[in-house]
Amino acid sequence: MSRDVILGRIRAAREALAWAAPQGAEPGTAAPASDALPALPPAQRFPDIVGLFVQRARQVGMLVDIVASPAEAARRVASLCGERGMRRAAAWATPDLAALGDVLAAQGIEVLAPGSSVEQVATADLGVTGAEWGIAETATLVLPSGPQQPRLASLLPPVHVAVLAADRIVPDLHALFARVGFLPSALTLITGPSRSADIGLTPVLGAHGPMEVSVVLIRS
Amino acid sequence: MSGPRIDMIGNARRALQDPALQQQLRRAMPSFRRQRDAAVAEVADWEYLRSTAAAIKDHALAHLDRYLTELEMQVAVRGGVVHWAADAADARRIIVDLARRRGIRRVVKSKSMTTEEIHLNPALEREGIVVVETDLGEYIVQLAGETPSHIVAPVVHKSVEAVADLFAAKLHAPRHERPEELAGVARQTLRAEFLAADMGVSGVNFAVAETGTIVVVENEGNARLTTSRPRIHVAVMGLEKVVPRLADLGVMLSLLARSSTGQRASVYVSLLSGPRRPGEPDGPDELHLVILDNGRTRLLGDPDLRAALRCIRCGACLNICPVFERAGGHAYGAVYSGPIGAVITPVYEGLDRAGELPFASTLCGACAEVCPVKIDLPRMLAELRGRAVRAGHATNLDRLFARAWTLLMERPARLWIAGKIGRTLQRVAVRGRRIDRLPYPLSGWTAHRVAPPLATQSFREWWRMDRGGGR
Repeated sequence: MSRDVILGRIRAAREALAWAAPQGAEPGTAAPASDALPALPPAQRFPDIVGLFVQRARQVGMLVDIVASPAEAARRVASLCGERGMRRAAAWATPDLAALGDVLAAQGIEVLAPGSSVEQVATADLGVTGAEWGIAETATLVLPSGPQQPRLASLLPPVHVAVLAADRIVPDLHALFARVGFLPSALTLITGPSRSADIGLTPVLGAHGPMEVSVVLIRS
Repeated sequence: MSGPRIDMIGNARRALQDPALQQQLRRAMPSFRRQRDAAVAEVADWEYLRSTAAAIKDHALAHLDRYLTELEMQVAVRGGVVHWAADAADARRIIVDLARRRGIRRVVKSKSMTTEEIHLNPALEREGIVVVETDLGEYIVQLAGETPSHIVAPVVHKSVEAVADLFAAKLHAPRHERPEELAGVARQTLRAEFLAADMGVSGVNFAVAETGTIVVVENEGNARLTTSRPRIHVAVMGLEKVVPRLADLGVMLSLLARSSTGQRASVYVSLLSGPRRPGEPDGPDELHLVILDNGRTRLLGDPDLRAALRCIRCGACLNICPVFERAGGHAYGAVYSGPIGAVITPVYEGLDRAGELPFASTLCGACAEVCPVKIDLPRMLAELRGRAVRAGHATNLDRLFARAWTLLMERPARLWIAGKIGRTLQRVAVRGRRIDRLPYPLSGWTAHRVAPPLATQSFREWWRMDRGGGR
């Protein structure tokens, strides 16, 4: 069994090192680490985390719309669809996005519910999702997967619109991981549109995922 | 262990004579460095982050058996299956068997150096399985029948024109010239592959022991598709990728994104904890995690080189290395290039095969300064040089030189006499206070550089006359 072989090698390596390097040898080479896990950095403090999120989101190429209520968020997404002639949207079906789906449907937009085939989702003009958290320092959206939260809605359509409540913005990654309790099958951190600079070092958007990411920020 | 001796010097010489490659490297490397420097500069406590990351990794390595078995249990609790692979052949057998049992016809892959290391693609192809690389750079490498030349930017050696030629020749499509058009062609071709594939193979950037979470970092979205769309996801990780706590990711992800591509955060970070759960509309039905040794436990038991297992494959040491910038990644003749490659290849593949790799450095120390997990690469390279010499890899000329140097340095009088002789002899070689050409065997030095002449007065002479006399 390779499992036992590998674990045996690991234990043998540790014993060999215990002979080779007494405690307190030069750090970073062979000294056995102490049994205590290192302390992690505390969350940073920023004077205005919502402002920082907005500024940095724009720096990484996300569009940010600030609205005052969920109803206004729905109207904003609907008008985006109207302006751009979008006909089909793949959307999350979480309770806080239900009203949004209704507004889009009322406008004659086909709303693909979770469970639609991947081929259908791939033909959507737009993906509409929520975001569980936002991270100010990096302008990151944090999206859990779930029965009403398909992973591919934020990935296959060329445009992704995420609705985020301003009070869900945390300062940085350290603060995020201090808060995450439940882990879904996929927790996805998204920072800007899909990109690649593999061809001639030229940044190209929409390498595989959306070329446009919009955040509708509800600041009530 | 495998393959003939790597001819780093010959490879580097050929690379230097390739103007297209030189142009690519001279453009890319400084630009990678500028981006990294800017992203690092805005972090107030960068050194603290580095030390913390090194400590986390050292701790995990010191208790690797505990954290790997915890990871195994937590992955299993969430419905994933863990496989252990002692070497590359073992890993290939596990994945090929799985593909065969599930009747897999088409595999999509996201970028993974570990699967390069185990040479997975040819093994799957021998079974008649179609394997498609989906990272844009890796896709280009696959179309060209090449290997990646940089662990983060696999086609840094190719110009836009070269990619345009390749696509026109291989994809039977009208010729496009602009990067966005070429990327569009690839997007369209690969989108169809994602929809058709029944297995996705990815690498692993970090694996969290306490939660059984596999972390995959990328910018394009191909790894998200690879790990979400096909019904089976196989993730291949080197056993050093495990971190104890979910919260450790806060430190690790900050360092990785800023060090590798100069971003505050990579575009997509996927934290995958088990396969799709009941009621979920997408995600794989099966998740398999392959934990690979393949020489890593040899590093683990090596007191001088063990810290190389802290590596998070950011590529910062490649980007800052003056040797890499001129020779390019292919010159290293192995899967991992640059300073980190020159350290781990001799351990993974043997000192005999590694040849001059440990000598492919000026030991300037820049790589150690940028390393986000504080790996002392120059010291490790010096250590490996010593081992190479002890293993009989020195040339007769090396030995003669070392012997002569020892003789010279053993007695002050000998050095004094040699200085006198040298100052007399060099008169024929010094032109305008520099030496452009020296006779064999010293000509190797002056072939590519200018040598400074010996000072007209030794330090001891100066001290005696000036400092001593002036008192």
